[in-house]
Amino acid sequence: MTRVSWLLLGALLTVATAAPAFGETTLEKLNRTGALTIGTRTGSPPFAFVNKQNEWVGFAIDLVEQAVKPALERKIGKPLKVEKKESTPPTRIPLLSSNAVDLIAGTMTHTRTRAESVDFSITYFVTGAQFLVKKGSPLKSIQDIAGKRIATQQGATNARILRERVPTAQLREFPDQPAAFQALVQGQVDAYTNDGIQLAGLQAKAPNPNDWEIVGDFYSYEPYGFAMRKNESDFRHLVDVGLMEAIESGKYFELYDKWFGPKGEVPYPLSPENRRFLQLQVVPR
Amino acid sequence: MDVSVIVDNFPFLIVQGLLGLGGFVGGTLRLAIPAIVLGFALGVVLGVARLARARWVRGPATAYIELFRGVPLVMVIFWMWFVLPQLLQRPIPEYSVALAAFVIFEAAYFAEIVRAGIQSVPRGQVEAATAVGLTRAQSLRLVVLPQAIRSMIPSLVTQMIVLFKDTSLASIIGYVDLTKAAQIVNNREIRPFELYLFIAVVYWLCTYAMSLVARRFERTPA
Amino acid sequence: MNDQFEWSVLWSGQSGQWLLSGLLTTLRLSALAWVLAAILGVAAGALRTAPVRPLRILATAYVEFFRNVPLLVWMFFWYFGVPPLLPRPAQDWLFAHGAEFWAAVCALGVYHGARMSEVIRSGIRAIPRTQLEAAVATGLTTLQAYRLVILPIALRLIVPPATSESLNLLKNSSVALTISVAELTFQTRQIETYTARAIEALTAGTLIYLGLCVSIATVMGWVERRVAIPGLIAPGR
Repeated sequence: MTRVSWLLLGALLTVATAAPAFGETTLEKLNRTGALTIGTRTGSPPFAFVNKQNEWVGFAIDLVEQAVKPALERKIGKPLKVEKKESTPPTRIPLLSSNAVDLIAGTMTHTRTRAESVDFSITYFVTGAQFLVKKGSPLKSIQDIAGKRIATQQGATNARILRERVPTAQLREFPDQPAAFQALVQGQVDAYTNDGIQLAGLQAKAPNPNDWEIVGDFYSYEPYGFAMRKNESDFRHLVDVGLMEAIESGKYFELYDKWFGPKGEVPYPLSPENRRFLQLQVVPR
Repeated sequence: MDVSVIVDNFPFLIVQGLLGLGGFVGGTLRLAIPAIVLGFALGVVLGVARLARARWVRGPATAYIELFRGVPLVMVIFWMWFVLPQLLQRPIPEYSVALAAFVIFEAAYFAEIVRAGIQSVPRGQVEAATAVGLTRAQSLRLVVLPQAIRSMIPSLVTQMIVLFKDTSLASIIGYVDLTKAAQIVNNREIRPFELYLFIAVVYWLCTYAMSLVARRFERTPA
Repeated sequence: MNDQFEWSVLWSGQSGQWLLSGLLTTLRLSALAWVLAAILGVAAGALRTAPVRPLRILATAYVEFFRNVPLLVWMFFWYFGVPPLLPRPAQDWLFAHGAEFWAAVCALGVYHGARMSEVIRSGIRAIPRTQLEAAVATGLTTLQAYRLVILPIALRLIVPPATSESLNLLKNSSVALTISVAELTFQTRQIETYTARAIEALTAGTLIYLGLCVSIATVMGWVERRVAIPGLIAPGR
């Protein structure tokens, strides 16, 4: 029977790989269905999360609704509605390639490796990895982590960098942020590392925010972008145009203030360099 | 310990997560109940087929059972979710993918339980049934299965409980069940202890109710 | 999208090494947990049918408590809930020596022990009550009757469901990734992180689990035929 099982699995794989690709481009699909389906997070405040009223909201979702959608609507000449599906690090690329979603709008770092499988929009947020530690901890930066137990989030790019730069650090990779944080609270690990903005969000939500501090310079560069299926430059261009127009018109900064301003979900002021960087990405009309 | 996180999010956890009513596609019960019924029905067919005399019936049934017992459920869900849209040339709703994956997967386990149950019936029973003039199908339906089902109730209930809790794996495709609802709240509030304890209690109540019902059946002679 | 598959990511770079180390961790974790589950399962399964009431209640409580709560919750319980109860030096030692691995062994073993006991109880129930009575009538004590008559028959009857249950344990070991154990599923995700090749990594994981489970099932199928009791409906005639 073993052989039959293998044959069945082989057949399944063949079907999976040989199934004809969808003949339609993303723009044709939007035109036909009138819906833009995005893959986003349910637990990454303030980028995309479910709020206390159980609505699915966030900065990335607002950018899609208020910057990307208008540009696409103008092109196809009819109103679009935005449909949301959950995407996580292990599922986001398959979601795109199986046409289940058209755009990944979460906290996906644009990397060269990923760009071999998917295309990215211009950068819409810049951050870098830091460490969250108990206040007063001797651990202050990446220089201090040799031999220490460090929690990271599975699927994030930081673990890879730490492994290369400090091979003696003992990494513990957790699938979600609350579990990693719990390990830190209990002393199972000495620090938790993730993108600075994620740590800020976590600290703001922690039961006693003042017990914790974020330390170290950015030891990695994490530019977030929207991901799309490869080789659809007309669609990607429209997504870029939407973002550029929002930066140019100030809409982007309004939304930034809504989520990251002093009264926002996670206060995180925009540095002058980052503001400049965003503006420099806007190419002339 | 801070119970306010449970009180505040109770409607979301129960109405959305357990029952599946609300803005998100989800619901533990909405997925588990049809999956248990359909999975068991398919499992009985497969379990009987595996003991069939004809090779062309036994072979495929055995292959099916061994294949699906050999892969983790997460992988089955993921594969169905990725492969089905490619085959059918259109996106498939999460609910259908999840239900199909559970029925197909769990049927293999139910089938093995059914087989073990049938095999525990002394062969003399079948011979006696044949001797009094019952056909094979009749002896299976009237003599073997009623006895087999009774002896397999404990395993069967365990498997149903497993299936009930396994529905939490549907969260990988964004299905908002009880576990996923707790994770969503947890990501926002960072209260793992309170939330996981709460859902453990809810799962326990549901499954304990299942065991109690089963125990009543065990006592009633078939 | 089909021209995009690139299977070489599975053996180029560190992927092969990761898959191997993940496989070894999965096997080590499952084997230790299985031993624990088998001991607890046989003990609790036998006790649940025992004629002594307090023992029955104890075993029933264990089973109902552990099998009815999701494994994920047990993982968190053993990893986050238990260590704070230990004295500080023990905690520090544990944290420095793979606390997550031992927590996962306990979680898997105790949880599957409860499930295994139900399988064993099914087997014992399938044996007519008269067998026990006959054994006692020939002068065996209850304990001897269980050890020499009931369990040997029951253990044979339960080979198919117990195999299912063991395969379940093997596959459930993947839940340990939630408490940062670097087992097989974890490593396939790691490959995905490094190469952005989700389907390839997933396929590798599926094939390895399938290979493991089919081998175990094949061996157990052989065992089942060897130990089959003549007179009961035999497998596959």
